[in-house]
Amino acid sequence: MTNKTVFRVHPSVNFARFGTSEDYILSPETSAGLPQEGTQVTGGLPIKKGTENTPVTSNDLRDEEGNLKKQAARFRIYAYDVNGPDTYPSGSGTEIVIGTKLADGRTVTDLRWSSHLANKKAAVYNVVNNKGIEAYADNQVPQLRNPEVHGDINSDYRLNRLMIDAGPRAISASSGDSAKFNRCSEAKCVKQAGEITPLPNYPIRFPEDTNDELYEPSGPLDTLGEILTDDDGRLLVLASSGNAVGQYDEYGVPIQMTGDLNNVGWFDSAADGPVNVTLVFDDGTTEEAFGAWVVCGDPAYAPQIRNVVSVWDDVYNMFVRDLELQPELYGITHDEDAYRYKPTYQPNFTQDIQPIFIACNLQRWTANLPPLALQAHTAVQAINEDNDPNETIMAALNFIRDPNKNETNIGAPLMPLSLGAAGTSFLTVTKTQYFMLEQWSKKQFEKGGESKLGPGEILDMASMANCLGGRYVPGIEVSYTIMEKDIYQQDWKESGAGPFRIKQYPLTYSGLSKETKETTPYLKSGWIPLHNMTHGLEPGDLSKFMATPWQTDYNSCSIHATAINTDGVNESNGAESTLYWSWPSQRPDAVYVAEEVYNNVLPQQKWSIRGKGTYAINPASAATFQDPIQSVQDWDKIGIIVQGTNVDSDTQEFAPELYLEVQSQLTNPGDATDPVPAWPFNANPPKKKRSCPH
Amino acid sequence: MKIKHTDWGMENLKDHLQAAVDLELWTIPYYMSAMYSIKNRDSNAYQLIRTVINQEMLHLQCAANIANAYGLSPTITPPVYKGTKIPHLNFNLDPSEKTEPYMPYTAEIGPLDLMHINGMCLVELPEFNPPPLEILLESLINEYSSIGAFYDALRFGASLLKDHIKGGVRQVDAFSAFYRNMPNMTVTESGEAGFDQVSLLIDLITDQGEGQCKKDPIVPSVFQNTADDTEPEDDHFVKFNQIKDAGGLDGCELPETFSTKPPSEYTPEDLQLQNILVKQFGRLTELLEALFKGENPDNFFPIMASVGGALRNCWENGVTPKFSETNQH
Repeated sequence: MTNKTVFRVHPSVNFARFGTSEDYILSPETSAGLPQEGTQVTGGLPIKKGTENTPVTSNDLRDEEGNLKKQAARFRIYAYDVNGPDTYPSGSGTEIVIGTKLADGRTVTDLRWSSHLANKKAAVYNVVNNKGIEAYADNQVPQLRNPEVHGDINSDYRLNRLMIDAGPRAISASSGDSAKFNRCSEAKCVKQAGEITPLPNYPIRFPEDTNDELYEPSGPLDTLGEILTDDDGRLLVLASSGNAVGQYDEYGVPIQMTGDLNNVGWFDSAADGPVNVTLVFDDGTTEEAFGAWVVCGDPAYAPQIRNVVSVWDDVYNMFVRDLELQPELYGITHDEDAYRYKPTYQPNFTQDIQPIFIACNLQRWTANLPPLALQAHTAVQAINEDNDPNETIMAALNFIRDPNKNETNIGAPLMPLSLGAAGTSFLTVTKTQYFMLEQWSKKQFEKGGESKLGPGEILDMASMANCLGGRYVPGIEVSYTIMEKDIYQQDWKESGAGPFRIKQYPLTYSGLSKETKETTPYLKSGWIPLHNMTHGLEPGDLSKFMATPWQTDYNSCSIHATAINTDGVNESNGAESTLYWSWPSQRPDAVYVAEEVYNNVLPQQKWSIRGKGTYAINPASAATFQDPIQSVQDWDKIGIIVQGTNVDSDTQEFAPELYLEVQSQLTNPGDATDPVPAWPFNANPPKKKRSCPH
Repeated sequence: MKIKHTDWGMENLKDHLQAAVDLELWTIPYYMSAMYSIKNRDSNAYQLIRTVINQEMLHLQCAANIANAYGLSPTITPPVYKGTKIPHLNFNLDPSEKTEPYMPYTAEIGPLDLMHINGMCLVELPEFNPPPLEILLESLINEYSSIGAFYDALRFGASLLKDHIKGGVRQVDAFSAFYRNMPNMTVTESGEAGFDQVSLLIDLITDQGEGQCKKDPIVPSVFQNTADDTEPEDDHFVKFNQIKDAGGLDGCELPETFSTKPPSEYTPEDLQLQNILVKQFGRLTELLEALFKGENPDNFFPIMASVGGALRNCWENGVTPKFSETNQH
């Protein structure tokens, strides 16, 4: 391969988050909870609008009316010089903005961005919480959502009624364009030579098209978001307000929500889709960058609380094990004809080990951990690169669940103690994380040193590191499918695309006509896992594996007994009624309210979801809105957890070690709420099964 | 020191209270060593021993709480693991037909094998035949047939001296969330009411350990773990016998343990692992003593956990764990 400059959009997968305000802040570009050079503020905080990287403070989270601000996903373009197969990390990459002059003398005059957002949740298959991806194994598929709507999964009839497709939008950065993903904004795409082409016959679909009336507790579902650019021509993708609408039943009553995951007759405004850009140069030439993907979804209620296993950990693990990301870490050994981790590989303590320890210690700010666990977690975070691993609390990895062994049903004292993936009681770190820890435990690790990642690679990592991994039941931002190699561009080394890039199904937008606009949807049901489908993802093919509406799942996934993962049968080594945290880092359970902290003395914890409508008869449903309708209406009132440094207060100065809840609108100081018990605590005993009376 | 029941003075009671703490502490490294020697943490044996160790820690807390209620802050010193001597227990006082199934045994630190599971069963041996009253009331502190008999004597002495109980003194509670049916894990009251609490804690120790004199094979629900026990209704003796029975007559079916090497083959790194355990356990005993003296050492649990890691590290490297430089071979 000769020397060549390629362009890539980063982050390769980015996340825009719902907000009820028209105003927005930017999604974080640093990794949750990790130290940042030159500041006490740890990573993960969203960025103030209009700034490069200034973290928000608590007053930035809501607008003047108290509405929750959206988080815009910001995409940048980086140029890479390629002269052979790609390696990771490249450590390189130069950002391209309008006005950048390349080495070949060309200057960037415009960036023509495009995206296409869709939501296929209601049109596709149920989430099967205790099966996960296995529900698609052996050429099977789960039951269809909304089965009363006739037709197979790709029938026009079903897709016209159940799929939300806003169509593509394209904008010119130099023109300062913006475009909303609603019916009023014309569909457009970027065709050859960077030409923005209107698509007047694109079959846009929203629920109101086929429903005379909808139950709209938070307003009509008439948009999936918006795109615009900043002063440098970077793309900003805004999510929708996050609202959900439901159909009415035959009696004129909003359709009853019957569960957390697959509510019939309900639509939400989550979405996902490709992000592409064509660079236009002063000499009239154009270049296409390798595109990215945006997911529009749940707010980040605890942006700095690092997940022990994040989406990044899972995706990185898959690329290491399945797509030869770093052969020096995992690959074929000389003496064995098998892929394995290389015993000579030395992880870096700061980059590879310490983030796990930090994540461990951060759990205290969103979960009701017992005092002894707090002591232990403090000791874990205190481990530094100069400590002898054998003399630390992590000696022999004695308290880490080994993902290579059958240990997912062993609870305390093995960590992480939160609930696991579908079919397992407890979470494990990934195999790659565990290998890194093993190497550290054997004193085979590097000290010091800065990240070897290039700036675009850092964005890839940070974006995904701020999302929930491990427990995709079905997840918060994305589900288990994010770990499937089939969704990625597997020729990442040769193509110039670089790793972690979702393969886009080629959408040409050809053949659209006025005659078929009302009758024929453009998108199909799209990609599903374990069916040898490697042709790429259509818009909506990530978010369709999530719950519908999203609020009911977020609401319910607070605390559970392990049996929820294992077909209702307790397979753990503890009591069947013992409760554990579902998504403690990403879905706060128990929090410290900033307004109740004085002189940095912590008060009793409170449930994140509390107050009117949250009083639970069964501890298993504590910390949730008891009526799912309330979760659809009041999710934006939930508070956000931020570091003490960034809590605005006229009277208090909070320590940087504290992460406190701010901006909750669910209760006022002094209001009575359900108390938070010490862990371990138990659900009410299960109802006894009826036995034969004879 | 042979005493008559009417002679029980505070000094005798405190001797017993200290002995109770010593005895409970003794079991912890002994059981932990057996558990961590098992390769497969998912094995039934590993999990059963884990639950017992957790309760032995609880028992240590209970014994210390009782001691503090009587004005004794117990001393915590590394136990001795030599030969067949288990502190304060003399199995010759038991009917031979009851002890014979658990012979031979060893009281030395080692992996889970026949000798050690026998020892573990003997420690938890029930009072199959409660001793005659005169034996109960005239006891040598090192001459009890079982833990149950020991605590019978302690309870008797404690009852005679219940007026000395002062509630709320240096009480520790790290376990109540694991026992949601238990009214209280501490002695908060004085005098008669305090003795009811003392008696409750003794019941907890004996019922979880050796069972309620085998009148009822089930641990009463009040004493059952409600959080993380695989078999909360079973007492220690039942659990250990389950492991022993599954291990077969010669112990060959016991779970696989890490292989060990003779001390003569220890490398400097091996010795370092042993030394780390000695150091960590030494720190733990100091912290435990401080904990039961009313201090609140914030590194108690990390060191407790570190002992587990150091212990596992020894086994994984073929090294037999050592908890002190002098108190074991």
